[in-house]
Order: sequence, then structure tokens, then C-alpha cells
Amino acid sequence: MEEQEILTTLKILIIGESGVGKSSLLLRFTDDTFDPEQAATIGVDFKVKTLSVDGNKAKLAIWDTAGQERFRTLTPSYYRGAQGVILVYDVSSKQSFTKLDAWLSELETFATKHDMIKMLVGNKIDKEKREVSKEEGLKFARKHHMLFIEASAKTKEGVQCAFEELVEKIIQTPGLWETSGHSLRLDAEGGQASSNCYCVV
Amino acid sequence: MAAEEDGDVFEITDFTTASEWERFIARLEEVLHEWKLANRDPLPNVPKGKFTEGPWEEKNEEILFADFKFLINYTRLKPSASAEAESRSSREREDADDEQQDEHKPPTITNDIISMDNDFPSRAHCLCRWYGLQEFLVIQPAPNFGVIDSESRAKILESSAAIALSDSGCHVPVFIQLQQKWRKLYTGVAIVPGANISFEMSHLKKLPSKYLHLDGLLNMFKGKLGCEYVSMPPVSVSVRFTYILEDWIHCPWPQMPPDFFSFSEGEVGCSELDVLPFGACEDPVSELHLSCTWPYLSADMIVETSGYTDLDPLQAPQWSVRIQMTEDPQCLLGQLLRAFMELCTRTETTDEILGRLATEGTDPSEKDGGEDITNALQRLTEPNLPYHIPSLGSVVSRASSKLKIKPEEAPIPPNSLNKILQHLFPDATGLGGSQSQKGKGQNSKTRDSTPVEESPPHGSPERVEEVFNEALKQLRSAPPDSLTYRLAVCMAIINLNHGGLRAVAHLWQEFILEMRYRWENNILIPDLGASASNKPSSSSSTTSSSPSAPSASVPAPNLGSCLLHQKLQMLNCCIERKVKRESAGYGHEDTVLHEASSGVFESDTSTSQPDNDAVGGGTAARKVASVNGSTTDDEDDEFFECDDGDSDEVSEAGGKGGQRRISGDSTSPRRPGSGKKNLISEKSIDSYMSDSSFKDAALMKAEGRLAPMKNMRSLSTNEPLFIPVTQEPSPMTEDMLEEQAEVLAKLGSSAEGSQLRARMQSACLLSDMESFKAANPGCCLGDFVRWYSPRDFIEEEEEDGEEKEEEERNEKNISRQCSRTEEEDGRNSASEEASGERPEDSEKDANCEAKIDSPKAADGKKSPASEEIPPQATAKASSSETSSDQDHVSSHCRPQRGHLSQRMQIPGNMWVEVWQSARHIPARRQKRLFDDTKEAEKVLHFLSGLRPSELVLHLLPMVIHASVLKLAEKEDPDVPVLKTLTDQVISKAVKVTRWPHPPEVKRYEDVIRMIELAETVSSRSKSLKTKFTRDLLEKGKAEEELHNFVSSLLQQPEVDVRGGAYGPAGSAIHKLFSAAQKAALMILEDEESTGEDAAAQPEQMKPASTVHDFPSPSAREYILRALIPRPAPYSRVLPQRMYCVLVDGDYRLAGAFCSDTTFQ
Ligand SMILES: Nc1nc2c(ncn2[C@@H]2O[C@H](COP(=O)(O)OP(=O)(O)OP(=O)(O)O)[C@@H](O)[C@H]2O)c(=O)[nH]1
Ligand SMILES: [Mg+2]
Repeated sequence: MEEQEILTTLKILIIGESGVGKSSLLLRFTDDTFDPEQAATIGVDFKVKTLSVDGNKAKLAIWDTAGQERFRTLTPSYYRGAQGVILVYDVSSKQSFTKLDAWLSELETFATKHDMIKMLVGNKIDKEKREVSKEEGLKFARKHHMLFIEASAKTKEGVQCAFEELVEKIIQTPGLWETSGHSLRLDAEGGQASSNCYCVV
Repeated sequence: MAAEEDGDVFEITDFTTASEWERFIARLEEVLHEWKLANRDPLPNVPKGKFTEGPWEEKNEEILFADFKFLINYTRLKPSASAEAESRSSREREDADDEQQDEHKPPTITNDIISMDNDFPSRAHCLCRWYGLQEFLVIQPAPNFGVIDSESRAKILESSAAIALSDSGCHVPVFIQLQQKWRKLYTGVAIVPGANISFEMSHLKKLPSKYLHLDGLLNMFKGKLGCEYVSMPPVSVSVRFTYILEDWIHCPWPQMPPDFFSFSEGEVGCSELDVLPFGACEDPVSELHLSCTWPYLSADMIVETSGYTDLDPLQAPQWSVRIQMTEDPQCLLGQLLRAFMELCTRTETTDEILGRLATEGTDPSEKDGGEDITNALQRLTEPNLPYHIPSLGSVVSRASSKLKIKPEEAPIPPNSLNKILQHLFPDATGLGGSQSQKGKGQNSKTRDSTPVEESPPHGSPERVEEVFNEALKQLRSAPPDSLTYRLAVCMAIINLNHGGLRAVAHLWQEFILEMRYRWENNILIPDLGASASNKPSSSSSTTSSSPSAPSASVPAPNLGSCLLHQKLQMLNCCIERKVKRESAGYGHEDTVLHEASSGVFESDTSTSQPDNDAVGGGTAARKVASVNGSTTDDEDDEFFECDDGDSDEVSEAGGKGGQRRISGDSTSPRRPGSGKKNLISEKSIDSYMSDSSFKDAALMKAEGRLAPMKNMRSLSTNEPLFIPVTQEPSPMTEDMLEEQAEVLAKLGSSAEGSQLRARMQSACLLSDMESFKAANPGCCLGDFVRWYSPRDFIEEEEEDGEEKEEEERNEKNISRQCSRTEEEDGRNSASEEASGERPEDSEKDANCEAKIDSPKAADGKKSPASEEIPPQATAKASSSETSSDQDHVSSHCRPQRGHLSQRMQIPGNMWVEVWQSARHIPARRQKRLFDDTKEAEKVLHFLSGLRPSELVLHLLPMVIHASVLKLAEKEDPDVPVLKTLTDQVISKAVKVTRWPHPPEVKRYEDVIRMIELAETVSSRSKSLKTKFTRDLLEKGKAEEELHNFVSSLLQQPEVDVRGGAYGPAGSAIHKLFSAAQKAALMILEDEESTGEDAAAQPEQMKPASTVHDFPSPSAREYILRALIPRPAPYSRVLPQRMYCVLVDGDYRLAGAFCSDTTFQ
């Protein structure tokens, strides 16, 4: 299982308003830490991690983009060829939620993969001051055919699950990705990864 | 049955061969068992129509006879799920009930040959067609093992099969294929309990005339059965006659092939350069086959001899029609696409093609005669002025000189070339005002879909619109009103009609020259579309204060479009930057003012829209002296007019402000410094004014201001803050971005990698910081962050979890601060108003606006900036040993109304670092982030480096796009399959055009094939419609029925004519036939020409003559069936069948004869 070869490389993108915690989510996922001293991203950042979902090992190339307006002219280029995108908002900021529409329309314009999987993540649920309810998030995700999960980069709740669910969905979507020569493993054994999550399509 | 001869063969066979033979039989039995055909229960009867529908399944196996390899094949109609279930349950029932009944149940084969439910299936295996079989086995030689052409070998095989069948109790018939495969000649045998059936067949070129009618065939059938005696039981007959209609008298194919020569005669209009051809050259419908069927006739009731017939097609109970399509109807759009694709296989470079042309240009074989003549004419008529258009003239003459092509030798004659270039670049037209208007017209729909054409489009406007939008949104090509799109369509047309590869290369060369000309002469390229790249930022509400991506008049490359389009957009950006750069002019006195005027481009998205035309047209007009009419004055006015008052005010204010400060009003900049003196050490001041002393900074002239930030004052100087003029971000094309992404990804995912990446991308940040510093002397990072990343400035009311570690005292200070601010607020603004020399109204307006549209601004009002800085707490908080200067920077800003977010405070973070290294330089004097000269050269290099084959790949997305629109336009709502096809083409094209490069020829081929199919189907439907609507109906009512009929003809191989000859479709067909007959007779007998209508009607009145409405049938099929005891009169009564098909020169008789093996 450990020595298993990598099935495919997936390109994943994280977008959303500045300060919603994109970089923090990524850091939590890749290094399992939370660094309150995460600097505001300049341009784009990049991390790699391999992930095993349902017995299929996938290498993830994750691009973390800056939410800052000024950098946005640059970021759409990174939408190209992405199989999955994580759209993040901050549950303690209504404004970060209302901007989601704009992000989606940008995505629509620039994504090259037609059936790219989209996931909505409501971050910072550890915070007491909540401005966006879970229902609102769910409703938005349903309307736009997205996966949805709430998470906290700080407490690590939902983070691993979000990435796993996204990758699983990508692998299940035919034609979205290409193998690096090995065939897809369809053994059950995985599965529990998703069973304890509460992602919704 | 086995002749003596065969017996001899067996007798003389020695042991080795005998054993081969036995082995063969054994193997055969093995296969029968394997396939579970032995001792199997009979299959149920086949429901009507099932033979055509299928599905059929097959099994195959190899069998050796000595070293001769045979293939054995089992074919059967797959039983429908329900039938299978039924048969199983009935079997069970019978098993339980009564063993005896089972014996009485006839085997499948005897049922099949006598059943009348599935005569003349429209599509089925020939054995099924001839014998009505739902299952059969075929033994044939394996490929490369020759054919069975001797009677004796056939007999050996047949008797071997018979033995295997009877040994294994298999009732499925076995056929041996004889002679060449294409002859479809079989002999066969089946063994059923108490009887065997022999299948005999003859296939002849000629048949004695006495057998050419039902009469003679009946006699043959009776003779074969050996019962010519009187008490012949009734023979039942099914007959089908097929008539072929080849001449469509009233509806010749309307589509004319395009006039290939019109172009070279200089008659070309724009419509021929931007309208793709569509439709078939030839009639895609070649023949109509009408089959008239008489099922279940009794042979006694019907007479057909050479002299008389009862079989009048008009009286036939069943009519069905099939359409024979033209093999290759030469669809115009398909041809154009194929020809264009063909270029992808060419490897020559443009230079090679044109170079060869320059040397071999005189070779007459290279040209067609027509061109020579035109050129000759041209030389005679216009020896000295081949070009009328001044703007293009210069380009073209340059081109000619560079290419060393004499005009008369160019692949595209100069006259035509001019027209093409005019068409591509309507903005450069000096003469035709209408043309340039057309170019300016933004409504692409009217442009593309209203061509002057032979037939009006039938697609509903809604559908056309739907497809238009869908294609625009989904396809990675270029908008239909863009230059890129025009170029692509034009190239495809030129390739097909006006000179092929050489013309394409020539036009491409001209195009590149035009591009270079425009770059060098500062003329914007027209029609490169609007930008979509900064949608989100322009729609966000806080843009007025935060640094949104400036939306320039010339859009940045749209990454949603194809690469070529992006490249051209890029070039346009370069031209625009160059124009701005040059017009900004260096060394002006009032640089601030000037900056503001050029900064207008960035200030507002909505108002700067018209700039595109104004700048482009204006510049072009100046250079080219065209009709556009916008003088330099106009142009300048435009610059100022699109300034929405707000920024106009700014520039003024900025200018004055700057002067004021210089003129010695040094109190205000100094004030914060003095106020802070006891709080902040010199060191900290130095730290954020890295390269100049604080005093110098304060005295520095503010430069490059764009607009005031609404109600914001510097945390450090308390001066109003200004948004600086910034450098526009560098436009990028997808390949550049990809390259960059690759470089960035290479840095890996380590922390250092991230650092490096951030540093590499910080050029823009640095530039913005420098501009900000220049516009706001003495400002601090907090000021910058409030503008640049408002979420990273935490106002004091906000109290986040992470901020809890803030010191109590600090908070108290802040709140104290807060209350004091409130008091001072009024005074503050009052004093400001007093000190302002300029009318403040507009500034106030701006404030009001800000208040309305941004909640943040309202927040700001509640806790406005205060002059006094509360001190001790922060100074102490940051005075630890380890914390460095940056802490001072942030803390020193903090007390005003909030503080930097935690992530901005981290020592050594990139933002602080860049801030420290930023100098006070306005954007204008900074190093250019975007080197337009270099980028323009890169684009031009890319363009000229394309081989025609590569160019074609880059143009294909647009050509496909145009084809899709064409399909939609030609869509016939009555033929739903066309809509489906168009949708399929779109979804395929979306995939192909979005495929990450490099583009693949093969994928495009698939799309083109689909487009061809859609075009063919569309042409067929059009053809059928013209054939079947024309006044063929007596009552208008039946139109609906006829529509359905036509649409089913397109989708089914054979269509039943409802109501036979007397239904609406039937009578239409009758008229078609009689008209064709009439015409044929007229030619023969040269009779008097009556009017068409008159001709058709009296014909119908006289029933006797209706036979002549139809030609003699092209094919006649008969199925004769009887139940007759064989071989002896006392044998059991068994089913007998003979199928006959009589086609001129191809006669086939296929009989299945049962004989009783018990009572012989
Ligand atoms: N309480 C809490 N704070 C979080 C969480 N995730 C991130 N933060 C904080 O939110 C701030 C912004 O986080 P970042 O990860 O830098 O935000 P970002 O989306 O990458 O921002 P940009 O790079 O500017 O686009 C940081 O101070 C984080 O410490 C979370 O789950 N809970
Ligand atoms: Mg970030």
C-alpha cells in the first residue's frame, strides 16, 4: 500500500477573498500545522502533497492564490488545466461570502477543464462571531453544484476531509484526469474516508 | 440425398482421412454442445418487425478439416428479455404438465420458414431474409483458405454437418458457404425429429423468360416439390415489387456550386470573405425506392404472366419507401474545412513558399489560366496605380518590396489583396465610410448571420441566439466580431477558393506586415474584443479605494480565448502602452498633472470604454489622414472627459497640494513628527524612511497622485491619503503565464521555496509601494495596507480571537483615543475646509459617494482619524529586545484607529521587507514592469515564426466556431436530429478547443467529421423538403403528415407509407413517379407537352393507365409457401418454402424443402 505507484497528478486551486484563510488551510493540510504568522500571499504559492483515496494514490499540485485584488490579474492563468478548485470564504465575514459569485464567474471564464470539480469551504468555524450560517453555505453550494464543507484551519476540523473528498470526486469523474499509466483501483477499502465527512454535493 | 458419387468418396477414403473426417464431426458436435444448441427447446416465434430492429448476436469458432481451416459462425436474434422469461416459464410449465405436448411443439426452424410475420425485413442477414430464420449456423473457409467450389467438397461438408446435427440433437440449420463470399451462395441442411430440411439455392445471371413471373415460379415450385398432380394444396404467396425513382422532375437540386472565378475577377464583396459556404453541391438524395408489398395472397387468386398482371402497385396494401443517398454529395462547408485541415500536413515555412514563388513565379504550370488572364488585364488597365488605399498602400508596397514579388506574380492579386485587407481592417479604410462603420458596429450577430445568401436561414432566431451565446461562452476561440475571427474565416475561404497554400502564406505575410506597421506607427489594432479578465474586481464594491486591477481601454489578453487572439491582444496592449508612454512625454514641468491625465485610463472602468475607438481611431486618423475626423484636440479632450470629475479634482488638488507644501507650509508634515517625538525614537523613523531622513521625506513633493482616498488620513502624518497612479499590471498571454507557473512550481514546496516565490512576484507590490510612498510622503505601512489590503487593518472595534493578546492598556488607550476623536472630528474637517483653496464640493461629493456605496467608509466615519497619537502603550509594547524596527512601524500606526493584522506584523515578512526597500518614486519614473517593446517584438516574432500548418491549427478554433454558428443558422426545427447534431458538435468542439495545447490535428478531424455529417443531414433534409412539399398535396391539411414522413425518411432506413398509395405521402410519391414517367415518355414519343398539373390529374382518372405511372419494377420478390407431404404422398404434411428475387441480371432462387424421414 505504501509502495503503491502514483496514479495521477492533479492540479488543485484555492481561491477566495484575502484573509479568509486559504494559505492556512493549505498549510494545515500539507504540514498539519497552524501558523498564525502566515504572511499574506503575494501572487501565488504552491505546494505538493500525495494523497491516497480509495487505494488510489494521487499527487496533488496545489496552487494557493492571493485574494488581494491587485494580484488577481495574475491568478486566472492558474485556473488553466485545474481539475479541482477550492473556493474559500470566512464564516465570520459576510463580505467574503457575498463575493463568492464574482469568484465563480471568474472561474467559469478561465477554467479550461469543463467539468472541473468545485468545492466550497467555509473556514474559521472555530470563531465565535459567525456571520454566515451553515445553511447559507449549503444553499450556495447546492445552487452551483459544488461540494460543501465547513472547516477550521486552526482546529484542523474538516480540512483533511475536504481535500480527500475533492480528490475522490475528481477520480470518479471520467475524462477529467489522465493516468500516468496505471489503472484505477476500484477496491472498496477506502470509502471510510468519505463516510465520516459531511460533504454534500 | 447423398449421391452415389459421394458414397464413393467415402469408400475410397483411407483411414487417415476418415479419421480427419470423424475428427471434424466430433469437433463440430463439441462446438454445438459448447454453444448449448444440442437438445434445446424451440425458440418462440419472432414478433413482427423484430428482424430489422435486432439486436443480433454472433459466436465464432475455428474448425479444422485436415489442415484446412473453417470458421463456424452462429447467428441469432437476441430474444427480448420478456420473451426469454416467457419461454423459460412456459418450459417449466410444460415440464411439469405434460411430456407429450413437448413432442408436438414444432421446432424453431419449421416455424420460421412458414411464418408470415417477418417477410421482407428492411435490414437483415441475407439468410434471414431469404428463409425467415431467427438462428442459423454458417460454415465457411477461413480467410486465405480458398473457396469451396466443388460440388463434392460441399457435399462432404454438408453430410458431416448433418451427422453432427443428428448426433447432437441440434435443430439449428447449418449452411455451407460456396464460391466467393460476395456471391452469397449457400447450401444448407437441418435435421429435426422425423424430418430433414434441405436448403437449396441458385444464383443466376439469366433466367428463362417463362420463370420471370409468378406463374412460372409457381410451376417451378410445384415441380420441385414433386407434386404436379392435380390435388395441389393451396400455395400462399407474398410479393414485393420495388420501383426506383431517379428523376426528380420538378425539383432539380437548387444549390449552385460557388462561383470560383468571381474573386479573381475582382468582384469579391465582403460577404464572400466572411460567409462560410454551406450545403451540398450535388443533390444528396439520389434515388427513391418504393416497395409495394402484397402479403398473404393465395396463388389461386392472383395472376401474373408475361401478358397480364393483377399486381398494380397502386392497389398494393403496403407501401414503404427508402431513400438512396448520394455517396459523397460534396458538402461545401465540409470541403472547406477539409481543405483547410489539409494544410496542417504541409511542412514548408511561409518564406519557403513565398520564396519559391519569387523564383518560380514565372512557371506557367503553377498558375491556372484564369489568373493569368486577370493579371494580364490588370497590367493593362492599372499599370501604375494598383492600390487606392493610402493606409494600406504603404504596407502593401512594403510587402511587395520585401517579398520581392512582382504584383502580377503574387498568389493573391493586388486588387483582391486590397479588398481582403480592407475587410480585415475596416478602420484603415479611407474611402468607404460604410465599411468602417461596419467594422465599428459592435453587434456581431448582425455582422455574422445576415449574409447575402441564396436561401434564407431556417434556424429560429432564438435557437441561433442560444447557440451564439453558448459558443461564445464555451469555445476557446475569439468573438465573432473580432479581427482574429475574421482572419480565420477569411483564410479558410481563401485557401479553398482563391489559391490554396500559397495564398494563405501570402495573406499571412501581409497580415504580419500590417501588425508590424501598426506597432511601429502607434496604430491600435481594431476589433480585438473586450476584456473579461478583470470581471470580479470591477464588480466589487470597494474598488474605488482599493487597488483594483485597472481596466485599460485596450483589454489584456483574454485567457478564455485562443492563443492567437491573446497574442494579438497582447500586441495591442503593447501599442497602447507605447502610445501612452510616448504621449506622457518626459521632462514636462507639471508632471503630476500629466500623470493624472494618463492615469485616467485606470481610474474608471465604465467611462474609459470609449477610449478604445477614440485613441485608436484618432491615432490612425492622424497617421493616415482618414475620415475618422477626431483631431488631436478631440483626443486630448477625450482624455480629460473620461475623467469623472473626481480625478480631475484630484489632479488639480494634487498639483496644488504639492505646490503648497513646497511653498513652505511645512507645519503639517512636521506636526506628526513633533507630536511623536517623545514616543518614537529616531531609529524607528529612519527604519520606515529608509533612504531619506524623515524631514526630507516630509518636505518631499508628493508625486503621482490619482485620487484621494475617501476620508482617510495618514496614520503617521495625518495628511489626507491619496491613491497613487500605479503601473498597470503586465498583461500576459497563456503561454507566458504557463512558463511563469513552471518556474514558480520548480521552486518546490518548502518554506524557502515559498519565500523565493513571493519575492519573485513582489515586483508589482514594490512598484505599488513606491508609487504610494511618492504620492503620500511620510506615510507608513499601515496607510498602505488600508488601501491595498483593507482586511489586514484591524479597526479597534473589531476584536478577533487572535487579537485578544492585545494589551489591556492599549485598548484603553484606544478607546480614550476614540472619544477624543469624536470631538475633534468636526473641528478637523472644518479646518480642512478652511485651508483648502480649491472648492471642496467635489471632494465632498466623493466622500458622500463613498459613504453610500461602502459600509467600510461608514465605519471609518465613526472613528475618524485623529491627529494625536497615543503613545506610551505601544512604545512599550514594542520595546522588547528581539522585536525589530518593523514592530515600531506597525505599532506606531496602531493607536490611530486600529492596527495591522497579525500576519502583517510578523518580523521579516515579505510585506514589511518590501515596504522598507521601497523608495519614493512615482510610477512614471519607475522601471517599467512591462517592457512593451520587448513583448511586442516577441509577439511579432511568434507570428512570423508560424508555418502555415501551425497557423492553421491556431485558426481552426475560430473556423470551427464559425461552422457551429452556420449549423445553427441552417438548423431546421422540423428535423430534431439536426439540433442534436449541432449540440454534439458544440460539446466536442468545446473539448477540442479547451484541450491544453499543443492542439491536435486528430481531434479537429473528429469535429470536422461531425460537422460534415450535420451538413449532409441538413442538405438531405433540405433536398427532401423541396421534393415533397411542392404542391404535391391535394389538401393542405396533410402537411403535418408529410413533414413527419420526410423527417422519418432521414432517420430510418425504411419508412412505411401510411395509407399506402392513397395516403397523403403516398399520393405525393405517386405524382413524383408519374411525372418522371411522363417525362420519360415525352422524350421517347415526343408527345404534345401538356401542363404539369393537367398531366397528373387525368392520369388518375383512368385506372387502366395507372400501370404506366410507374416504371417496371426494378426488383421483384416472391415468397411461396405451402404445406405439402414429402417425399411421398403418404408422408407427413410439412412446410415448404421458396424465395425468389428477380433483378435484371441477378436472379436468385432459395428453397427450403422438408422431407419426412419416417414415412418415405
Ligand atoms: N480563527 C481562525 N483564524 C484563521 C483560520 N484560518 C486562518 N486564520 C487566520 O486568518 C488570517 C488570514 O489567513 P491566511 O491563510 O493568510 O489567508 P489567505 O486567504 O491566504 O489570504 P491571502 O493570502 O491574502 O489571500 C490569518 O491571520 C490566519 O491566522 C481559522 O480557521 N480560524
Ligand atoms: Mg494566502
